[in-house]
Amino acid sequence: MFGYIIINKPEMKFKEFDLYQSYYCGLCRSLKKEYGRLGQMTLSYDMTFVILFLSSLYEPETLVSSGRCAAHPCKKHCQRINPFSAYGADMNLLLSYYKCLDDWEDEHKINRKIMALSLQRRFRKAAHKYPQKEQIIQEKMRQIHACEKQKCRDLDLASGYFGEIMAEIFVWRKDEWEKELRHMGFFLGKFIYLMDAYEDAEQDQKTGNYNVFLEAYGEAGFTQKAENILSMMMAECARAFERLPIVENAEILRNILYSGVWHRYELVKRRREGK
Amino acid sequence: MYDPYAVLGVGRNATEEEIKKAYRALSRKYHPDANVNNPHKEQAEEKFKEIQQAYQQIMYEKERGSSGSSAYGQQQGGYWNFDDFFGDRGQQSRQSQDSESTYKQAASNYIRSGHYREALNVLNSIGNRDAHWYYLNAIANAGTGNNVAAMDSAQRAAAMEPGNLQYQQLYAQLQNGGSWYYGQRQSYGNPVDGSGNFCMKLCIANMVCNLCCGGGLCCI
Repeated sequence: MFGYIIINKPEMKFKEFDLYQSYYCGLCRSLKKEYGRLGQMTLSYDMTFVILFLSSLYEPETLVSSGRCAAHPCKKHCQRINPFSAYGADMNLLLSYYKCLDDWEDEHKINRKIMALSLQRRFRKAAHKYPQKEQIIQEKMRQIHACEKQKCRDLDLASGYFGEIMAEIFVWRKDEWEKELRHMGFFLGKFIYLMDAYEDAEQDQKTGNYNVFLEAYGEAGFTQKAENILSMMMAECARAFERLPIVENAEILRNILYSGVWHRYELVKRRREGK
Repeated sequence: MYDPYAVLGVGRNATEEEIKKAYRALSRKYHPDANVNNPHKEQAEEKFKEIQQAYQQIMYEKERGSSGSSAYGQQQGGYWNFDDFFGDRGQQSRQSQDSESTYKQAASNYIRSGHYREALNVLNSIGNRDAHWYYLNAIANAGTGNNVAAMDSAQRAAAMEPGNLQYQQLYAQLQNGGSWYYGQRQSYGNPVDGSGNFCMKLCIANMVCNLCCGGGLCCI
Protein backbone atom coordinates (compact mmCIF):
# COMPACT_ATOMS: atom_id res chain seq x y z
CA MET A 1 0.00 0.00 0.00
CA PHE A 2 1.34 3.43 0.82
CA GLY A 3 3.22 3.26 4.08
CA TYR A 4 2.41 6.75 5.34
CA ILE A 5 0.70 5.71 8.55
CA ILE A 6 3.79 4.83 10.55
CA ILE A 7 5.29 5.43 13.97
CA ASN A 8 7.80 8.03 15.02
CA LYS A 9 10.21 5.54 16.50
CA PRO A 10 12.69 7.83 18.31
CA GLU A 11 9.84 9.31 20.34
CA MET A 12 8.57 5.93 21.39
CA LYS A 13 9.30 3.86 24.48
CA PHE A 14 10.91 0.47 23.86
CA LYS A 15 7.94 -1.28 25.38
CA GLU A 16 5.55 0.54 23.07
CA PHE A 17 7.66 -0.22 20.06
CA ASP A 18 7.69 -3.94 20.88
CA LEU A 19 3.94 -3.90 21.23
CA TYR A 20 3.53 -2.11 17.90
CA GLN A 21 5.86 -4.53 16.20
CA SER A 22 4.02 -7.51 17.62
CA TYR A 23 0.86 -6.41 15.77
CA TYR A 24 2.92 -5.92 12.63
CA CYS A 25 4.28 -9.45 12.96
CA GLY A 26 0.76 -10.67 13.68
CA LEU A 27 -0.45 -9.20 10.42
CA CYS A 28 2.48 -10.73 8.56
CA ARG A 29 1.63 -14.14 10.05
CA SER A 30 -2.04 -13.80 9.18
CA LEU A 31 -1.23 -12.83 5.62
CA LYS A 32 0.97 -15.88 5.27
CA LYS A 33 -1.57 -18.17 6.79
CA GLU A 34 -4.45 -16.94 4.62
CA TYR A 35 -2.68 -15.97 1.45
CA GLY A 36 0.73 -17.59 1.43
CA ARG A 37 4.08 -15.99 0.68
CA LEU A 38 2.75 -13.81 -2.08
CA GLY A 39 0.06 -12.50 0.23
CA GLN A 40 2.74 -11.80 2.78
CA MET A 41 4.44 -9.49 0.31
CA THR A 42 1.53 -7.07 0.57
CA LEU A 43 2.37 -6.44 4.25
CA SER A 44 1.91 -2.80 5.15
CA TYR A 45 2.29 -0.39 8.04
CA ASP A 46 -0.98 1.32 7.14
CA MET A 47 -2.92 -1.84 7.81
CA THR A 48 -0.92 -2.45 10.98
CA PHE A 49 -2.31 0.84 12.21
CA VAL A 50 -5.87 -0.22 11.38
CA ILE A 51 -5.41 -3.49 13.27
CA LEU A 52 -3.80 -1.87 16.30
CA PHE A 53 -6.51 0.77 16.33
CA LEU A 54 -9.47 -1.62 16.04
CA SER A 55 -7.87 -3.92 18.63
CA SER A 56 -7.58 -1.02 21.04
CA LEU A 57 -11.16 0.03 20.51
CA TYR A 58 -12.74 -3.40 20.80
CA GLU A 59 -10.17 -5.09 23.04
CA PRO A 60 -10.69 -8.60 21.66
CA GLU A 61 -8.99 -11.69 23.05
CA THR A 62 -5.50 -11.63 21.64
CA LEU A 63 -3.11 -14.50 21.31
CA VAL A 64 0.44 -13.57 22.22
CA SER A 65 3.15 -15.86 20.98
CA SER A 66 6.69 -15.63 19.82
CA GLY A 67 8.30 -17.06 16.77
CA ARG A 68 10.85 -16.73 14.03
CA CYS A 69 10.15 -15.83 10.46
CA ALA A 70 12.02 -15.90 7.18
CA ALA A 71 12.79 -12.21 7.46
CA HIS A 72 14.23 -12.54 10.97
CA PRO A 73 15.77 -16.01 11.10
CA CYS A 74 17.98 -15.34 14.11
CA LYS A 75 15.67 -13.42 16.36
CA LYS A 76 12.41 -14.46 17.88
CA HIS A 77 9.69 -11.89 17.61
CA CYS A 78 6.58 -11.46 19.65
CA GLN A 79 3.33 -11.70 17.70
CA ARG A 80 -0.14 -10.59 18.63
CA ILE A 81 -2.97 -12.21 16.74
CA ASN A 82 -6.68 -11.58 17.14
CA PRO A 83 -9.70 -11.47 14.81
CA PHE A 84 -8.57 -8.08 13.51
CA SER A 85 -5.30 -9.54 12.21
CA ALA A 86 -7.28 -11.73 9.83
CA TYR A 87 -9.62 -8.87 8.98
CA GLY A 88 -6.65 -6.61 8.27
CA ALA A 89 -5.08 -9.29 6.10
CA ASP A 90 -8.28 -9.58 4.04
CA MET A 91 -8.60 -5.83 3.63
CA ASN A 92 -4.94 -5.53 2.79
CA LEU A 93 -5.35 -8.01 -0.01
CA LEU A 94 -8.35 -6.23 -1.47
CA LEU A 95 -6.57 -2.89 -1.40
CA SER A 96 -3.27 -4.19 -2.71
CA TYR A 97 -4.94 -5.87 -5.64
CA TYR A 98 -6.71 -2.70 -6.72
CA LYS A 99 -3.62 -0.61 -6.10
CA CYS A 100 -1.62 -2.87 -8.42
CA LEU A 101 -4.27 -2.61 -11.11
CA ASP A 102 -4.36 1.15 -10.66
CA ASP A 103 -0.59 1.49 -10.97
CA TRP A 104 -0.71 -0.60 -14.10
CA GLU A 105 -3.42 1.49 -15.70
CA ASP A 106 -1.93 4.83 -14.68
CA GLU A 107 1.74 4.28 -15.13
CA HIS A 108 1.93 1.05 -17.11
CA LYS A 109 4.23 -0.55 -14.61
CA ILE A 110 4.35 -4.08 -15.89
CA ASN A 111 5.49 -5.56 -12.60
CA ARG A 112 2.27 -4.31 -11.02
CA LYS A 113 0.22 -6.00 -13.67
CA ILE A 114 2.06 -9.23 -13.01
CA MET A 115 1.54 -8.80 -9.28
CA ALA A 116 -2.19 -8.16 -9.78
CA LEU A 117 -2.51 -11.25 -11.93
CA SER A 118 -0.68 -13.35 -9.39
CA LEU A 119 -2.86 -12.01 -6.61
CA GLN A 120 -6.10 -12.66 -8.47
CA ARG A 121 -7.00 -15.99 -6.93
CA ARG A 122 -6.20 -14.72 -3.44
CA PHE A 123 -8.10 -11.54 -4.15
CA ARG A 124 -11.22 -13.56 -5.02
CA LYS A 125 -10.95 -15.38 -1.73
CA ALA A 126 -10.89 -12.10 0.19
CA ALA A 127 -13.67 -10.63 -1.95
CA HIS A 128 -15.80 -13.67 -1.25
CA LYS A 129 -15.52 -13.04 2.49
CA TYR A 130 -16.47 -9.37 2.26
CA PRO A 131 -18.56 -8.95 -0.90
CA GLN A 132 -20.06 -5.61 0.13
CA LYS A 133 -16.78 -4.03 1.08
CA GLU A 134 -15.21 -5.33 -2.11
CA GLN A 135 -18.03 -3.76 -4.16
CA ILE A 136 -17.50 -0.39 -2.55
CA ILE A 137 -13.73 -0.49 -2.95
CA GLN A 138 -14.12 -1.43 -6.60
CA GLU A 139 -16.65 1.32 -7.26
CA LYS A 140 -14.60 4.01 -5.53
CA MET A 141 -11.40 2.95 -7.30
CA ARG A 142 -13.27 3.26 -10.58
CA GLN A 143 -14.39 6.77 -9.63
CA ILE A 144 -10.86 7.74 -8.65
CA HIS A 145 -9.67 6.49 -12.00
CA ALA A 146 -12.33 8.51 -13.84
CA CYS A 147 -11.33 11.62 -11.89
CA GLU A 148 -7.71 11.14 -12.79
CA LYS A 149 -8.56 10.58 -16.45
CA GLN A 150 -10.36 13.91 -16.52
CA LYS A 151 -7.36 15.54 -14.86
CA CYS A 152 -9.61 16.74 -12.09
CA ARG A 153 -8.18 19.62 -10.02
CA ASP A 154 -10.65 19.30 -7.15
CA LEU A 155 -8.66 18.48 -4.02
CA ASP A 156 -11.69 17.00 -2.30
CA LEU A 157 -13.01 14.75 -5.03
CA ALA A 158 -10.61 11.88 -5.74
CA SER A 159 -9.20 12.07 -2.23
CA GLY A 160 -12.78 11.82 -0.95
CA TYR A 161 -13.33 8.61 -2.90
CA PHE A 162 -10.25 7.13 -1.35
CA GLY A 163 -11.50 8.41 1.98
CA GLU A 164 -14.69 6.45 1.48
CA ILE A 165 -12.66 3.32 0.84
CA MET A 166 -10.77 3.78 4.10
CA ALA A 167 -14.00 4.60 5.91
CA GLU A 168 -15.38 1.28 4.73
CA ILE A 169 -12.32 -0.52 6.03
CA PHE A 170 -12.49 1.23 9.39
CA VAL A 171 -16.14 0.28 9.84
CA TRP A 172 -15.44 -3.31 10.70
CA ARG A 173 -19.07 -3.79 11.66
CA LYS A 174 -22.02 -1.49 12.00
CA ASP A 175 -22.37 -0.70 15.68
CA GLU A 176 -22.38 2.22 18.06
CA TRP A 177 -19.02 3.45 16.75
CA GLU A 178 -19.83 3.46 13.07
CA LYS A 179 -20.09 7.22 12.78
CA GLU A 180 -16.74 7.90 14.44
CA LEU A 181 -14.99 5.10 12.58
CA ARG A 182 -16.31 6.36 9.27
CA HIS A 183 -15.19 9.87 10.10
CA MET A 184 -11.73 8.74 11.08
CA GLY A 185 -11.26 6.49 8.08
CA PHE A 186 -12.62 9.06 5.66
CA PHE A 187 -10.19 11.78 6.64
CA LEU A 188 -7.27 9.42 7.04
CA GLY A 189 -7.99 8.21 3.50
CA LYS A 190 -8.05 11.77 2.20
CA PHE A 191 -4.77 12.39 3.97
CA ILE A 192 -3.17 9.31 2.38
CA TYR A 193 -4.35 10.22 -1.11
CA LEU A 194 -3.14 13.81 -0.85
CA MET A 195 0.14 12.85 0.82
CA ASP A 196 0.80 10.47 -2.04
CA ALA A 197 0.10 13.28 -4.51
CA TYR A 198 2.33 15.65 -2.54
CA GLU A 199 5.20 13.18 -2.62
CA ASP A 200 4.81 12.40 -6.32
CA ALA A 201 4.30 15.99 -7.50
CA GLU A 202 7.92 16.47 -8.55
CA GLN A 203 8.11 13.29 -10.52
CA ASP A 204 4.69 13.67 -12.09
CA GLN A 205 5.64 17.10 -13.32
CA LYS A 206 8.56 15.54 -15.22
CA THR A 207 6.67 12.58 -16.61
CA GLY A 208 3.41 14.41 -17.25
CA ASN A 209 1.42 11.93 -15.19
CA TYR A 210 -1.71 13.14 -13.51
CA ASN A 211 -1.34 14.70 -10.08
CA VAL A 212 -3.94 16.72 -8.26
CA PHE A 213 -1.22 19.11 -7.02
CA LEU A 214 0.35 19.56 -10.44
CA GLU A 215 -0.75 23.18 -10.90
CA ALA A 216 -0.06 24.20 -7.35
CA TYR A 217 3.35 22.53 -7.25
CA GLY A 218 6.05 25.03 -8.04
CA GLU A 219 3.93 27.99 -6.96
CA ALA A 220 5.26 30.04 -4.09
CA GLY A 221 4.15 28.70 -0.73
CA PHE A 222 3.16 25.31 -2.08
CA THR A 223 4.78 23.37 0.75
CA GLN A 224 2.94 25.40 3.37
CA LYS A 225 -0.34 25.16 1.51
CA ALA A 226 -0.02 21.40 1.21
CA GLU A 227 0.86 21.15 4.89
CA ASN A 228 -2.22 23.15 5.87
CA ILE A 229 -4.46 20.92 3.80
CA LEU A 230 -2.89 17.73 5.12
CA SER A 231 -3.20 19.08 8.67
CA MET A 232 -6.91 19.70 8.15
CA MET A 233 -7.35 16.05 7.23
CA MET A 234 -5.38 14.75 10.19
CA ALA A 235 -7.16 17.15 12.54
CA GLU A 236 -10.54 15.67 11.62
CA CYS A 237 -9.17 12.15 11.88
CA ALA A 238 -7.54 12.78 15.26
CA ARG A 239 -10.61 14.49 16.68
CA ALA A 240 -12.73 11.45 15.92
CA PHE A 241 -10.03 9.31 17.51
CA GLU A 242 -10.09 11.38 20.69
CA ARG A 243 -13.85 10.96 20.96
CA LEU A 244 -13.50 7.19 21.06
CA PRO A 245 -13.03 5.44 24.41
CA ILE A 246 -9.57 4.11 23.66
CA VAL A 247 -7.37 3.50 26.67
CA GLU A 248 -5.12 0.62 25.62
CA ASN A 249 -2.28 1.55 23.29
CA ALA A 250 -3.58 5.11 23.16
CA GLU A 251 -0.08 6.57 23.30
CA ILE A 252 1.17 4.44 20.41
CA LEU A 253 -1.80 5.46 18.33
CA ARG A 254 -1.28 9.12 19.18
CA ASN A 255 2.40 8.82 18.29
CA ILE A 256 1.24 7.73 14.83
CA LEU A 257 -1.61 10.20 14.41
CA TYR A 258 0.23 13.29 15.62
CA SER A 259 3.75 12.54 14.54
CA GLY A 260 4.49 9.40 12.53
CA VAL A 261 2.17 10.33 9.67
CA TRP A 262 4.38 13.38 9.01
CA HIS A 263 7.54 11.35 8.54
CA ARG A 264 7.45 11.18 4.76
CA TYR A 265 6.17 14.73 4.46
CA GLU A 266 9.18 16.02 6.37
CA LEU A 267 11.61 13.91 4.36
CA VAL A 268 10.19 15.16 1.06
CA LYS A 269 10.14 18.73 2.30
CA ARG A 270 13.79 18.55 3.30
CA ARG A 271 14.78 16.97 0.04
CA ARG A 272 13.06 19.75 -1.89
CA GLU A 273 14.50 22.48 0.32
CA GLY A 274 17.96 21.02 -0.11
CA LYS A 275 17.85 21.68 -3.80
CA MET B 1 -31.49 17.10 36.27
CA TYR B 2 -29.91 14.62 33.92
CA ASP B 3 -26.20 14.33 34.57
CA PRO B 4 -24.22 12.21 32.11
CA TYR B 5 -21.26 12.18 34.49
CA ALA B 6 -23.35 10.50 37.16
CA VAL B 7 -24.38 7.81 34.68
CA LEU B 8 -20.71 6.95 34.21
CA GLY B 9 -20.03 7.34 37.92
CA VAL B 10 -17.33 9.98 37.57
CA GLY B 11 -17.03 13.51 38.86
CA ARG B 12 -17.58 16.58 36.69
CA ASN B 13 -13.90 17.35 36.74
CA ALA B 14 -12.78 13.87 35.64
CA THR B 15 -10.08 13.77 32.95
CA GLU B 16 -10.85 12.36 29.52
CA GLU B 17 -8.84 9.28 30.35
CA GLU B 18 -10.86 8.70 33.53
CA ILE B 19 -14.08 9.09 31.60
CA LYS B 20 -12.93 6.64 28.96
CA LYS B 21 -11.88 4.12 31.59
CA ALA B 22 -15.19 4.45 33.41
CA TYR B 23 -17.05 3.97 30.15
CA ARG B 24 -15.01 0.88 29.32
CA ALA B 25 -15.62 -0.72 32.69
CA LEU B 26 -19.39 -0.23 32.41
CA SER B 27 -19.48 -1.21 28.78
CA ARG B 28 -17.72 -4.47 29.53
CA LYS B 29 -20.52 -5.29 31.91
CA TYR B 30 -23.55 -4.14 29.94
CA HIS B 31 -22.56 -4.45 26.27
CA PRO B 32 -25.00 -6.69 24.33
CA ASP B 33 -22.04 -8.87 23.28
CA ALA B 34 -21.36 -9.65 26.94
CA ASN B 35 -24.99 -10.41 27.75
CA VAL B 36 -26.02 -12.87 25.06
CA ASN B 37 -26.97 -15.50 27.63
CA ASN B 38 -28.17 -13.13 30.29
CA PRO B 39 -31.87 -13.69 31.14
CA HIS B 40 -32.16 -9.97 31.84
CA LYS B 41 -30.51 -8.93 28.63
CA GLU B 42 -33.15 -6.32 27.78
CA GLN B 43 -32.35 -4.47 30.97
CA ALA B 44 -28.66 -4.70 30.25
CA GLU B 45 -29.24 -3.31 26.80
CA GLU B 46 -31.23 -0.38 28.17
CA LYS B 47 -28.45 0.33 30.61
CA PHE B 48 -25.89 0.09 27.83
CA LYS B 49 -27.75 2.63 25.71
CA GLU B 50 -27.83 4.98 28.64
CA ILE B 51 -24.07 4.64 29.17
CA GLN B 52 -23.45 5.10 25.49
CA GLN B 53 -25.51 8.27 25.35
CA ALA B 54 -23.89 9.71 28.45
CA TYR B 55 -20.44 9.03 27.08
CA GLN B 56 -21.16 10.61 23.73
CA GLN B 57 -22.70 13.65 25.30
CA ILE B 58 -19.70 14.21 27.56
CA MET B 59 -17.27 13.83 24.68
CA TYR B 60 -19.26 16.19 22.54
CA GLU B 61 -19.50 18.81 25.26
CA LYS B 62 -15.80 18.57 26.01
CA GLU B 63 -14.92 19.09 22.40
CA ARG B 64 -17.14 22.11 22.10
CA GLY B 65 -16.01 23.61 25.38
CA SER B 66 -19.24 22.65 27.13
CA SER B 67 -21.39 24.91 25.03
CA GLY B 68 -24.91 23.93 25.87
CA SER B 69 -27.15 21.58 23.97
CA SER B 70 -25.74 18.40 22.57
CA ALA B 71 -26.63 17.56 19.04
CA TYR B 72 -23.64 15.44 18.32
CA GLY B 73 -24.60 12.31 16.47
CA GLN B 74 -28.02 13.57 15.52
CA GLN B 75 -27.27 14.31 11.94
CA GLN B 76 -26.25 10.95 10.62
CA GLY B 77 -24.13 10.98 7.55
CA GLY B 78 -22.84 14.52 7.91
CA TYR B 79 -19.24 15.43 8.62
CA TRP B 80 -19.95 18.58 10.51
CA ASN B 81 -22.26 20.10 13.08
CA PHE B 82 -23.79 23.46 12.48
CA ASP B 83 -26.16 24.12 15.32
CA ASP B 84 -24.22 27.26 16.08
CA PHE B 85 -24.88 28.57 12.65
CA PHE B 86 -28.34 27.27 12.08
CA GLY B 87 -29.88 27.51 15.49
CA ASP B 88 -32.17 30.36 16.48
CA ARG B 89 -30.11 32.91 14.68
CA GLY B 90 -30.37 31.39 11.23
CA GLN B 91 -30.67 33.30 8.03
CA GLN B 92 -34.37 33.99 8.20
CA SER B 93 -34.08 37.74 7.89
CA ARG B 94 -33.41 37.76 4.17
CA GLN B 95 -36.88 37.81 2.79
CA SER B 96 -36.60 39.45 -0.62
CA GLN B 97 -38.66 37.64 -3.20
CA ASP B 98 -36.36 37.20 -6.18
CA SER B 99 -35.69 33.67 -7.35
CA GLU B 100 -32.06 33.60 -6.24
CA SER B 101 -32.98 34.18 -2.64
CA THR B 102 -35.60 31.45 -2.95
CA TYR B 103 -32.83 29.16 -4.07
CA LYS B 104 -30.69 30.24 -1.19
CA GLN B 105 -33.56 29.61 1.18
CA ALA B 106 -33.89 26.12 -0.28
CA ALA B 107 -30.17 25.54 0.19
CA SER B 108 -30.40 26.68 3.82
CA ASN B 109 -33.27 24.31 4.41
CA TYR B 110 -31.34 21.42 2.93
CA ILE B 111 -28.38 22.25 5.13
CA ARG B 112 -30.55 22.49 8.21
CA SER B 113 -31.96 19.03 7.57
CA GLY B 114 -28.54 17.55 6.87
CA HIS B 115 -29.02 17.13 3.08
CA TYR B 116 -25.70 18.63 2.15
CA ARG B 117 -25.40 17.21 -1.34
CA GLU B 118 -28.79 18.56 -2.31
CA ALA B 119 -27.77 21.91 -0.84
CA LEU B 120 -24.65 21.89 -3.03
CA ASN B 121 -26.71 21.14 -6.13
CA VAL B 122 -29.01 24.07 -5.46
CA LEU B 123 -26.09 26.37 -4.71
CA ASN B 124 -24.36 25.42 -7.93
CA SER B 125 -27.37 26.62 -9.91
CA ILE B 126 -27.10 30.13 -8.47
CA GLY B 127 -25.20 32.58 -10.66
CA ASN B 128 -24.78 35.50 -8.29
CA ARG B 129 -22.14 34.51 -5.79
CA ASP B 130 -22.03 36.96 -2.95
CA ALA B 131 -20.62 36.54 0.54
CA HIS B 132 -23.77 34.82 1.73
CA TRP B 133 -23.51 32.30 -1.12
CA TYR B 134 -19.92 31.48 -0.12
CA TYR B 135 -21.03 31.15 3.48
CA LEU B 136 -23.70 28.58 2.58
CA ASN B 137 -21.36 26.86 0.17
CA ALA B 138 -18.77 26.51 2.93
CA ILE B 139 -21.24 24.84 5.26
CA ALA B 140 -22.64 22.49 2.63
CA ASN B 141 -19.14 21.45 1.59
CA ALA B 142 -18.03 20.84 5.15
CA GLY B 143 -21.11 18.69 5.63
CA THR B 144 -20.21 16.44 2.71
CA GLY B 145 -16.62 16.12 3.91
CA ASN B 146 -15.18 18.49 1.29
CA ASN B 147 -13.15 20.34 3.85
CA VAL B 148 -10.74 21.95 1.41
CA ALA B 149 -13.56 23.58 -0.55
CA ALA B 150 -15.28 24.50 2.70
CA MET B 151 -12.22 26.35 3.96
CA ASP B 152 -11.80 28.24 0.67
CA SER B 153 -15.41 29.34 0.63
CA ALA B 154 -15.46 30.35 4.28
CA GLN B 155 -12.35 32.40 3.72
CA ARG B 156 -13.95 34.17 0.77
CA ALA B 157 -17.14 34.92 2.65
CA ALA B 158 -15.15 36.35 5.54
CA ALA B 159 -13.00 38.44 3.20
CA MET B 160 -15.97 39.79 1.22
CA GLU B 161 -17.81 40.97 4.33
CA PRO B 162 -15.24 41.50 7.07
CA GLY B 163 -17.88 43.04 9.32
CA ASN B 164 -20.11 39.98 9.37
CA LEU B 165 -19.57 38.19 12.62
CA GLN B 166 -21.23 34.98 11.52
CA TYR B 167 -18.93 34.59 8.52
CA GLN B 168 -15.87 35.30 10.65
CA GLN B 169 -17.08 32.79 13.20
CA LEU B 170 -17.52 30.05 10.63
CA TYR B 171 -14.07 30.68 9.18
CA ALA B 172 -12.58 30.60 12.67
CA GLN B 173 -14.38 27.39 13.55
CA LEU B 174 -13.15 25.63 10.42
CA GLN B 175 -9.60 26.73 11.22
CA ASN B 176 -9.94 25.68 14.80
CA GLY B 177 -9.34 21.98 14.11
CA GLY B 178 -6.11 22.71 12.30
CA SER B 179 -4.65 24.83 15.07
CA TRP B 180 -5.67 22.36 17.77
CA TYR B 181 -4.01 19.60 15.78
CA TYR B 182 -0.91 21.69 15.22
CA GLY B 183 -0.52 22.10 18.96
CA GLN B 184 -0.82 18.37 19.52
CA ARG B 185 1.66 17.71 16.77
CA GLN B 186 4.25 20.00 18.34
CA SER B 187 4.04 18.07 21.59
CA TYR B 188 4.77 14.78 19.86
CA GLY B 189 7.91 15.99 18.15
CA ASN B 190 9.04 16.13 14.57
CA PRO B 191 9.51 12.63 13.15
CA VAL B 192 12.67 13.54 11.26
CA ASP B 193 13.94 16.29 13.45
CA GLY B 194 16.48 15.32 16.02
CA SER B 195 19.63 17.36 16.38
CA GLY B 196 20.94 17.70 12.92
CA ASN B 197 21.79 15.61 9.99
CA PHE B 198 23.34 12.63 11.64
CA CYS B 199 20.16 11.75 13.45
CA MET B 200 18.19 12.05 10.28
CA LYS B 201 20.55 9.71 8.47
CA LEU B 202 20.14 7.27 11.29
CA CYS B 203 16.42 7.54 10.95
CA ILE B 204 16.54 6.89 7.24
CA ALA B 205 18.97 4.04 7.66
CA ASN B 206 16.67 2.61 10.24
CA MET B 207 13.67 2.98 8.01
CA VAL B 208 15.41 1.44 5.03
CA CYS B 209 16.57 -1.38 7.24
CA ASN B 210 13.09 -1.90 8.58
CA LEU B 211 11.79 -1.95 5.06
CA CYS B 212 14.08 -4.67 3.83
CA CYS B 213 14.25 -6.87 6.85
CA GLY B 214 10.98 -6.03 8.53
CA GLY B 215 9.33 -8.76 6.57
CA GLY B 216 8.73 -5.76 4.37
CA LEU B 217 9.66 -7.20 1.10
CA CYS B 218 6.73 -4.93 0.60
CA CYS B 219 6.87 -3.86 -2.96
CA ILE B 220 3.37 -2.53 -2.56
